[in-house]
Amino acid sequence: MKKAFTFCLSLALFLAARCVSSYAQDSPVPFVFIPQWTSQAQFAGYYVALEKGFYLDEGLDVRIVNPSSSQTVFEQLRENEMDATTLQLVQAMELADSGIQLVNILQTSMNNALVIVSRRGKDPMKLRGAKVSCWRTGFSQIAECVAAEQNLDFEWIQTSDGLNLFIPGAVDASLGMTYNEYYKMLQTGLVSPEEGVYRFSEHGYNIQEDGVYVTREAYRKHPERAKAFARASRKGWEWAAAHPDEALDIVMAHVRRDRIATNRVLQRLMLEEVLRLQLSPETGRREFRLLPGMVKQASDLMYRNGMIRKEIKMEDLLP
Amino acid sequence: MKKPSFNRFTSLSSRISLWIVLSAALLLAVAMGFLWRSWAKSLRAEVNKDAAQVLDNTVLRVNGILEDAELAANNMVWLVERELDNPDAMVTISNEAIRNNPVLSGCSISFEPYFFPEKGLYYSIYSYRTAQDTVGWEQEGDDSYQYFYQNWYLLPRLLNRPCWTEPYNETSWNVVPEMDTEMLVSYCRPIYDRDSTFVGSVSVDLSLKWLTETVSGVRPYPNSYSILVGHGGTFLVHPDPEKLFYQTLFTDGLLDSDPVKYELGQAMRHQEAGMRVVIIDGERNFVYFQPLETTGWSVAIVCPEDDIFGDFNRLRRVFALSILLALLLLFFLLGWLIRRQLLPLRDLAVEADYIASGNLDHPLEPLERIDEIGQLNHSFRNMQTSLVSYIDELTKTTASKERMDRELQIARGIQMAMVPHDFPRRNDVDLYAQMTPAREVGGDLYDFCIQDDKLFFCLGDVSGKGVPASLLMAVARGMFRILARQGQPPAEIARQINDLISEKNEQMNFVTMFIAALDLKTGELAFCNAGHNAPVLIPEKCSEACFLDCKPNVAVGIMPGFPFEGQTVPDFRGKALFVYTDGLNEAEDASHVQFGEDRMLDILREDKFAGACGTIEKMSQAVALHVDGAEPSDDLTMLCVRMAK
Repeated sequence: MKKAFTFCLSLALFLAARCVSSYAQDSPVPFVFIPQWTSQAQFAGYYVALEKGFYLDEGLDVRIVNPSSSQTVFEQLRENEMDATTLQLVQAMELADSGIQLVNILQTSMNNALVIVSRRGKDPMKLRGAKVSCWRTGFSQIAECVAAEQNLDFEWIQTSDGLNLFIPGAVDASLGMTYNEYYKMLQTGLVSPEEGVYRFSEHGYNIQEDGVYVTREAYRKHPERAKAFARASRKGWEWAAAHPDEALDIVMAHVRRDRIATNRVLQRLMLEEVLRLQLSPETGRREFRLLPGMVKQASDLMYRNGMIRKEIKMEDLLP
Repeated sequence: MKKPSFNRFTSLSSRISLWIVLSAALLLAVAMGFLWRSWAKSLRAEVNKDAAQVLDNTVLRVNGILEDAELAANNMVWLVERELDNPDAMVTISNEAIRNNPVLSGCSISFEPYFFPEKGLYYSIYSYRTAQDTVGWEQEGDDSYQYFYQNWYLLPRLLNRPCWTEPYNETSWNVVPEMDTEMLVSYCRPIYDRDSTFVGSVSVDLSLKWLTETVSGVRPYPNSYSILVGHGGTFLVHPDPEKLFYQTLFTDGLLDSDPVKYELGQAMRHQEAGMRVVIIDGERNFVYFQPLETTGWSVAIVCPEDDIFGDFNRLRRVFALSILLALLLLFFLLGWLIRRQLLPLRDLAVEADYIASGNLDHPLEPLERIDEIGQLNHSFRNMQTSLVSYIDELTKTTASKERMDRELQIARGIQMAMVPHDFPRRNDVDLYAQMTPAREVGGDLYDFCIQDDKLFFCLGDVSGKGVPASLLMAVARGMFRILARQGQPPAEIARQINDLISEKNEQMNFVTMFIAALDLKTGELAFCNAGHNAPVLIPEKCSEACFLDCKPNVAVGIMPGFPFEGQTVPDFRGKALFVYTDGLNEAEDASHVQFGEDRMLDILREDKFAGACGTIEKMSQAVALHVDGAEPSDDLTMLCVRMAK
């Protein structure tokens, strides 16, 4: 948890520094966008916008820099330039709570993808005291809050590779995203899609996740630049939804270029699920906006469990 | 008649050949199917045995390597646990493990954070084999590499027992390693202090290269390959680099579920041994698998069906093709033989056609064969002889019949000319008659004449039909005319005709007659009914028409000297009389329903009597409507006479 927070804080600090310094120099300046994970279909819309020239149409020279084996996120933060990144809503709230002002310029996720999958085929929320693997890089805030409120006394096992703890049964359950780890777990043949899967979205915790964020200072100085990036990215996602096969080809080209350890089947499933998660539960449409109810629920949940010291309101994250 | 089309494929020879060949093919297919099935079963049993043997050997070799690594770690742990108060000793222990176990590529002895307070947060000794085959070591662990989050450290801590990791590399972020990056598997043992508290782990690394070389070298067939599958179904050894490490036995099933592949994956995952037939890339493959119980992995040999049964299938195809060609040859050979045998039959057909075209006396060559075709030739020649004779007879009969028809037509003309067609055109009396023979000539008659202000008329029906009846009719009619001219009363006329006809009447023919004489001055109608149907008397008021009351005289020609009694209608003026033969009331339709006297009476009663001719025409039309084209069974004659008031 602390590690994740450090990562996000560093990222945000760099965001701010980068934006301030870059615009002191001559333009045009490349727009560096760093998604929070390696190349995968979770970021299909941005790859599509890049490949189809939507960013260029907006006058942006966007460079998507994914974390890689040779350059960790931290190294990239130090050595490269970054203008925008993706964060989950709860991560953005933690940063906002720590005093780093961020602006959500595009909210892609409209639903929560967090799941706990039991290794034993039983309801994971009844495994009191269970060992549950989670990411070292965060994303597990909601699960931690819910487990604490339900007095489940989970032992959270931070690991960079939860799957390989899950397979031999070293943990009782594992946290995952419906579009990523969940399919990897299904791919082991160890679990069935129906048994022992707890979807937070189905139990009153349907809280939005991925959004694109820039620092408030950068946004104040160059709002059009941020808006242009958001417009082109949104167009990229809409194109991906309309042309999923071509979008998958574009994703796989990035995956191969970055030598990502995955396969086309997993990326296809990921793209389908990410696109599904972008549909509003109320209207069934891609709305690309934060929902006030979800923001308040996330803030209340985290505040109750001591993850933030004050309530984060919708306006704290909007321009 | 149109001659049926005939070609090679509809010929008898082709059909017989086809049936024989198809029957032979069916029998051969059943026999060969049984043979191939037994052969394939035997071959498969042999292959299964060989595959099991190969897998046994492979598993033994792999287990040998893994057990060497396990032994090295086991031998090291007790030393580590003895030296827990001497952290620097870990370097020596780790280096010695590498030096004494050539199978190992690395060895880590790692401890919980701050286990040795003087060493700080991280204390992990990592020894490794250098490219020069010497032993190097380093202390690993810093903020960018927190070893206690690595699986090789976490697994023994969480499981509380020794275990093998899944293959991994030391790169991070989910990235495919470079080609020269070595994939490792590690055997990890937990380290406990004297209180049995977990304090760290010993991990010995084995290059996956050892296993890959051992497993991938197993190729019992030219296109077969071996795979090694991890506990989660991950391909650890596979000839397709795309599948290696990042795909599992279940990956394809996520999109398109294949129950056989899923079942195979689960069987391998559950450490079973066996064989499954799986479709891979559209081809059938036999997958033989055995567990590697040491690690929970599974080894499999994938053998394309064509590799195992290639020679067998090729032989089967060649054999099947040979059989097919032989059957084809048999078909044509049989066709030729049968056609040759049936050649005389075809000649016979040509001769028959020629004969059928009118050349009945065309000589048919006898065949010197005693089989069915010879018999057919003999029968056909007999038939030809009979046919010639029959046709000759028929020709004569036809000529005779035509002559008789012509004569009958002449007779009909004569007969029809005998009865008068010029009816009296007078104001005081109206008479009309009509005669329709059932055949060319009939036995009905009518006649009339006026003699001394009396209108004599008669209507008769000769027994029988045709020529005999017509002759008797002519006699009766002639006698009537002679006697009427003499002014004889009707009863006398009947008596004399009776006497004449009954004399030498060996054929017992007779004539029913109604003979009448109407006095045109007094209006008295004298009549004699000689066994004929009672005529209908139509008074001035037609609706009161009724049968004339007649005395029961016999028919003329039956009893010589019979005293015929005459009768009179004193005043016939204003009345009419309708006389007819039984051809009217007994006229039948196609269902043999007779016209009937009642209907006849109804028509007469409803008639307004516009004239004798009109009454008869009306009756004639009613009869024609009733019989509706049915063949007439009897001659039909009607006569109607009316006297003015």
